[in-house]
Amino acid sequence: MADTNQPDMKKKATTKRDAKRKSERPASSRVGDRARIETFVQQFFRKGAQLTEELLQENDQLRRLHLQLEAENAKLRTQVSSDNAMRDLLRKIKQLEKEKGDLLSHIHEAELQSTRFGARFHEMEEELSKLANLYVASYQLHSTLDVQLVVKHLKELLQQLVGAQRLAIYMADTARKYLLLVASEQIDEKKYARMSLGGEEPSVAERVFLTGTEYIAEGALAKCNEKAPAAVLPLRFDDQVVGVIVIHSVFEQKTSFQQVDFELFKMLGAHAASALAGAMLYAAADARLPDATKLSSMPKNPLPSSASRST
Amino acid sequence: MSTEYTCLVVEDSPMMRQLLVFALSRVKNLKVTEADDGVDGLRKLAGNKFDLILTDINMPIMDGLKLVKRVRSDPMHKETPIIIITTEGSTEDRQRALQLGANAYITKPIQAPQVIAKVKELLKMGG
Repeated sequence: MADTNQPDMKKKATTKRDAKRKSERPASSRVGDRARIETFVQQFFRKGAQLTEELLQENDQLRRLHLQLEAENAKLRTQVSSDNAMRDLLRKIKQLEKEKGDLLSHIHEAELQSTRFGARFHEMEEELSKLANLYVASYQLHSTLDVQLVVKHLKELLQQLVGAQRLAIYMADTARKYLLLVASEQIDEKKYARMSLGGEEPSVAERVFLTGTEYIAEGALAKCNEKAPAAVLPLRFDDQVVGVIVIHSVFEQKTSFQQVDFELFKMLGAHAASALAGAMLYAAADARLPDATKLSSMPKNPLPSSASRST
Repeated sequence: MSTEYTCLVVEDSPMMRQLLVFALSRVKNLKVTEADDGVDGLRKLAGNKFDLILTDINMPIMDGLKLVKRVRSDPMHKETPIIIITTEGSTEDRQRALQLGANAYITKPIQAPQVIAKVKELLKMGG
């Protein structure tokens, strides 16, 4: 017990010594100490206030800097996003340009195709027109067995389809010494009633009859006349030429022969003679149709051609 | 629904008539009636309204000029377009027909595309 109280007793003794020492110092010295302490405290607080002020200012500056950086950051973000948008737009423009190019190319192709179709349509229209002409011509030639009507139709075909103004149709006699006029339009029938074959200077018509090759005038048709016809067409029956069609002149508006005319010439060369011959045979048979039962007794093979028959 | 047009073709030559009918058969929605000559044409016009008349000039019994005159004097057909078909050299006939009231003419030998174009033009048909 006595041991534990010993330090407390020492402490008390020291405090008492200090108090005794203090009380022993003069009063002026004690006042000076206090002033120094106060000055120190005041300086301490001033420094503290100054430091605080500086810290506040620094904080303020940092805050402003922070705000500035944030603004700058936002600006940069906007710029980046606007750059991206720009890139997107440029990509879109490029894509649209490509699409535009594709579309223009398609349009160009479509236009070309349309032009091709237009040209083809025009060609087909012309073909149809030609075919219609040929069909009508053939139909009309064989629509009757009346000689006068066949001749009338033949003349009409030459006038209306070919544009022939003055024309003559000749058939050879049995001995093939003459070409005899069987129909004409606007020519002197007496003058051109007969053409002898085998002369020294054969006419165009005679040459065509003998060679079987058609004659078509070259150049302007307006200058054609009796001596220089516009066209001479051989009339064929089987393999033999039996007559000719002479087109002396054509209507004024007919400046040249067209493809359709050549097709008609071919058709007339092959059909006109048989139509005429058929009508003549029918007339010779007193306009009586052959007995249908006779058809079965007819030879099965084709008859030899007229040329081979004549030899 | 497309409009249907009617056309009267007056032509004495069966071949020409057939050619004209062939050409006109290629015009869509066009119904064609044929007449042998002017008198037959007038008979077919009596009481019937046509949208177009196509007539030859040189025809027996009643020619195209008389037909044009008669058609124009009929109130029912006063406004009906008429196309005349003439041959080269018949300028006087053509002039006379136009004076009498024909609207257009076609010269022989006829070309189907030409006939179709003229018919479409007078009927105000597109294409």
